[in-house]
Amino acid sequence: MNNCSCQNNRSRNELLQEIMAYNFAVNDLALYLDTHPSDSKAICLHNEYSQKANKLTNEYQKLYGPLTINFASENWNWIDEPWPWERGAY
Amino acid sequence: MYYYVKSLQYPINIRRRNPMLAKNIISQYGGPDGELGASLRYLSQRFGMPDQKSKAILNDIGTEEYVH
Repeated sequence: MNNCSCQNNRSRNELLQEIMAYNFAVNDLALYLDTHPSDSKAICLHNEYSQKANKLTNEYQKLYGPLTINFASENWNWIDEPWPWERGAY
Repeated sequence: MYYYVKSLQYPINIRRRNPMLAKNIISQYGGPDGELGASLRYLSQRFGMPDQKSKAILNDIGTEEYVH
C-alpha cells in the first residue's frame, strides 16, 4: 500500500469525524431548542455549527462521495462500500 | 420524512470485546422497554399533542431513538 492512499484515508476519516462532531452538537442543540425556543445563545450556536457542518459536508462529498442520496454526481457511488457498520470507526 | 446519512452518529473504537456487555446493550434495543419500542411510541404519540413544543419534542426524540 503506497503512502498516498494511507494519507487519503487518514484525512477522509479526520474530515468525517469533524462532520460527525458538528452534526452531533447540532442534533443536541435542536433537542434543547424544542423546549427552549427563545434561547438566543443556543440558536446562535446551532446556526454556527450547522453552517460549519454543511460546509464540511460539501467538501467531503466532493472528495469522497455522497453522505446522503441527495448528492448529485455522475456515478452512483452511493452504493459503494464500506457502509458505516463495516467501516470500523466511522 | 427521513434521509439516511452514511456515517455513524458517534465513532466506534472497540479495544476489547465483551460479549456480556454486548448482550446487555443489545437488550436495550428490543423488548418492551427497548429503544425501538420507545421510538415508535413517541412517533405515534406526537399526532395527539396539543401544542407545537410537545409535537416537536416527541417528533425529534422519537427520531433520535429510531436512529439508535
